Amino acid sequence: MSAQQGNSGNRIKKLCIYALLASVCIIFSFIESLIPTALIAPGVKLGISNCVALMLVCFNDCKGAVFVNCTRIIISALLFGSPFSFLFSFSAGIISLFFSILLKKLEKTGILGISITGAVIHNIVQLAVAVFLTGKGVIFYSPILIASGIISGAGIGILCKILTDNKNLNSVFNQKEN
Amino acid sequence: MKMVKKGDIIVIIVSLVLLVLCIGFCLLIKKDGIYVVIKEDNKTVYSGSLFKDDTIKLKHNTVKIKNGQAYMLCADCKNQICVNTGKISNSGETIVCLPNKVIVEIE
Ligand SMILES: [Zn+2]
Repeated sequence: MSAQQGNSGNRIKKLCIYALLASVCIIFSFIESLIPTALIAPGVKLGISNCVALMLVCFNDCKGAVFVNCTRIIISALLFGSPFSFLFSFSAGIISLFFSILLKKLEKTGILGISITGAVIHNIVQLAVAVFLTGKGVIFYSPILIASGIISGAGIGILCKILTDNKNLNSVFNQKEN
Repeated sequence: MKMVKKGDIIVIIVSLVLLVLCIGFCLLIKKDGIYVVIKEDNKTVYSGSLFKDDTIKLKHNTVKIKNGQAYMLCADCKNQICVNTGKISNSGETIVCLPNKVIVEIE
């Protein structure tokens, strides 16, 4: 009985943390939408909101990462997007997260590698969707998108490294693991 | 935990190689190009890159090239088959307007 109670308490706690993280992501998405990085080339983004999912992957909470990422993409598409932008960010978000989790499970790379892979694959998928939807002309954006993926991926990776090394955050997430 | 693992360096190298390949690929298709050729009355009246947006006005038809796709914007023919063909972008594809003797081809 008490074990069950403890379990459901943990589940509620988990849910609260995910909801909190998802809302943090949405605030990041909003801030990002204010920064006109798309002027460089369509699709260029800072990807700060991806930091949260990446952090969860690094804490080995892949389910949580998928949950938070899906919630973030759906809600930010409803708030500041269109069906088109939803299709772009959803396909790219899910596929890049899949590769990030895969790399984490392989344990050959650190946060930096996971982050760069995620960002580059995110941009490649977006470009593929764009080729499918608007034609081959967008293929000329591929070098810019890959370069921006490497740069933003490295930046987010370093940021995430700082977060995951933080003792307070560590205690929150490791407690949650139990 | 170390900041950079061996795998990270491999990821960075692979990404950079991919970047170089993409730049090379873009330069190649820009130089070599995929061309749009328009013939009217069996004479070539236009030949230009598929990746350079353009609107070409012919005697009875208007062809538009946009975002790597070519299509018949409007035509004064009765059947409108050419307009309904839609957008073409792969080499070998054509839009034909029989009444006006116009052929748009991707080469
Ligand atoms: Zn016609």
